[in-house]
Amino acid sequence: MSSREDILQNIRRNTQKRYEKPDLSSLVQKAVKYEDKIGQFCSVMERVGGKAVLLHEGEDVNEVIRKLYPEARRIASSVRVLKRGNESQQLNCYTFHPDEVAASAELDGTDLGIVSGKVGVCENGAVWLEQEMEERGIYFIAEALIILLDKTCLVNNMHEAYPLIDTGEYGFGVFVSGPSKTADIEQALVMGAHGPREVTVILY
Amino acid sequence: MSTKHSKAAGRFLQHKELAAWHDETLWMVRAKRDKISKELPEWEDLRNMAEAIKMYSNSHLDTLLQEFEKNAQANGAHVYWAKDADEYCSIVHHILESHHVKHFIKSKSMLAEECGLNEYLEDKGIEVVESDLGERILQLMHKRPSHIVLPAIHIRKEEIGELFVKEMGTEPGNNDQTYLTHAARKNLRHKFIEAEAAMTGANFAVASTGECVVCTNEGNADMGTSQPKLQITAFGMEKIVPDREALGVFTRLLARSGTGQPITTYTSHYRKPRKGGELHIIIVDNGRSQILADKEHVKTLNCLRCGACMNTCPVYRRSGGYSYTYFIPGPIGINLGMLKAPLHYYDNVSACSLCHSCQNVCPAKVDLADQIYCWRQQLQRLGVASTPKHVMSEGMKFLMERPGLFDWALKNASLVNKIPHWMIYNGLNDWGKEHDMPVFAKESFNELWKKNKVK
Repeated sequence: MSSREDILQNIRRNTQKRYEKPDLSSLVQKAVKYEDKIGQFCSVMERVGGKAVLLHEGEDVNEVIRKLYPEARRIASSVRVLKRGNESQQLNCYTFHPDEVAASAELDGTDLGIVSGKVGVCENGAVWLEQEMEERGIYFIAEALIILLDKTCLVNNMHEAYPLIDTGEYGFGVFVSGPSKTADIEQALVMGAHGPREVTVILY
Repeated sequence: MSTKHSKAAGRFLQHKELAAWHDETLWMVRAKRDKISKELPEWEDLRNMAEAIKMYSNSHLDTLLQEFEKNAQANGAHVYWAKDADEYCSIVHHILESHHVKHFIKSKSMLAEECGLNEYLEDKGIEVVESDLGERILQLMHKRPSHIVLPAIHIRKEEIGELFVKEMGTEPGNNDQTYLTHAARKNLRHKFIEAEAAMTGANFAVASTGECVVCTNEGNADMGTSQPKLQITAFGMEKIVPDREALGVFTRLLARSGTGQPITTYTSHYRKPRKGGELHIIIVDNGRSQILADKEHVKTLNCLRCGACMNTCPVYRRSGGYSYTYFIPGPIGINLGMLKAPLHYYDNVSACSLCHSCQNVCPAKVDLADQIYCWRQQLQRLGVASTPKHVMSEGMKFLMERPGLFDWALKNASLVNKIPHWMIYNGLNDWGKEHDMPVFAKESFNELWKKNKVK
């Protein structure tokens, strides 16, 4: 008999009482909610070691990015156009698209990655990134990451976030909450363990 | 009466400064957990829900695992089933060998530790690189983790500094944590890029989508799986959850309970292989299906491996992970060890004061302390109970069952107070070691009560 059959048979034989699937609706109803979502998101981003900035009416996103990361030379962006209502802004502050590289390894040495987020979660600063380019390595290998997020896509908590996310064509997505970090040496918190040392969410 | 645990704990406590630091630091993590959990008014409802979902999923493993398999295959993944550690190791080895992998990068996986994967592969000539910073430090030191979430919590930065001078060419004497972490970042960046395959464990496997979810703070799992195009993911079968709705509950609890963060930095959902790549998923039993039959201990399968029970445990904090004989220490490790091989790991069941704190912080409500208590009741049957403790409790039983004798003994108990010190505090009396024996009162409560002296 195959291991698969063996295991399944053991499970069936050994399972005692079968419990029913619980209903989450009352929990979801009483889960934490915020009156000022943008304010909460900005403060929790700081707490997780990141930053959130608001793109104000009439502001050019390219200028905001350049001001945030004036030293960045090698800039990858998977976003070409930022659409806000009827208005749209062209991104021109980047130097290449992450899929222009022949292999993911070539993304090493990228100073700044610019990507788009789908949903932002106010309770924990997590932003859902649905893979939108072939080389998802850019999310993790860039020294700093800018996530562009429509401020109407903020939700209160993870219960509200999950129904809104998917993994898309590439079959990958990730919630990112602030920069890569570790406290593995004597519990001292250090940003930039393997991934981006800085994460800035631009709410537009 | 001394168990292997208490002897090893004695050695740990000889390093007074490190032991005090260990205790305080883990208590700080526990305090962070308390603070962040209190920010959510629905915290206890979340714990109840996590427990209910786990009770459901662990009692429907047959259907949920098959649903997972079907969906994962439809996503383009290869799915394997491993009965035990050997089969799991040999599946991984077979995948690596058939793809001619020489460099292999791994993110932290408790399952891999459980099954001895690294040793197995290294014996076969495959270089395994751990990418979690703590795990990497221990791998280079040839040591094992002492905590499931904070693996290198017992190592001082000076030792790491010395290690990195040798391994990564850092400046001698520079033990700054930021400096050392960034040196490891640079060093491991090359390892990620040269690897031909990457492996992760899984915090959750979602039946309805066939995806595996991995939570890290460092981003090491993602860095690994976004470089080489061959990915292996393996999980113990109790990691299955029915759907993404359930993830909404678990992702809110995991990091808050474990490290006091609102969520881990990365919560990655791996659903399909990369373009032109391969995704291999291994579902592992290794004793789990046996636990299903054990009514008293089936709830150990609820465990999320968050580490909260260790951080809060007064015995763990003061004795360190190496004092336990099972590779997972603390309250959950005591129980998992007993389920694995009671005659091998029974030394750990004494490493508990039955304070029940673990049970009160566990996000999935594993009844850890109750289970330890149950195991203690089994020691006599297993033939491993301590003789002095057994003699003592038999004596107490004899006394308690005879009220007349009991009263007489109590009346005369204060005579014991006059016995010379050397007769009480010596090698024969384990209860007199490292603490003073209680002084018997001249009058018992019973007598006081009868004389109306109790107010």
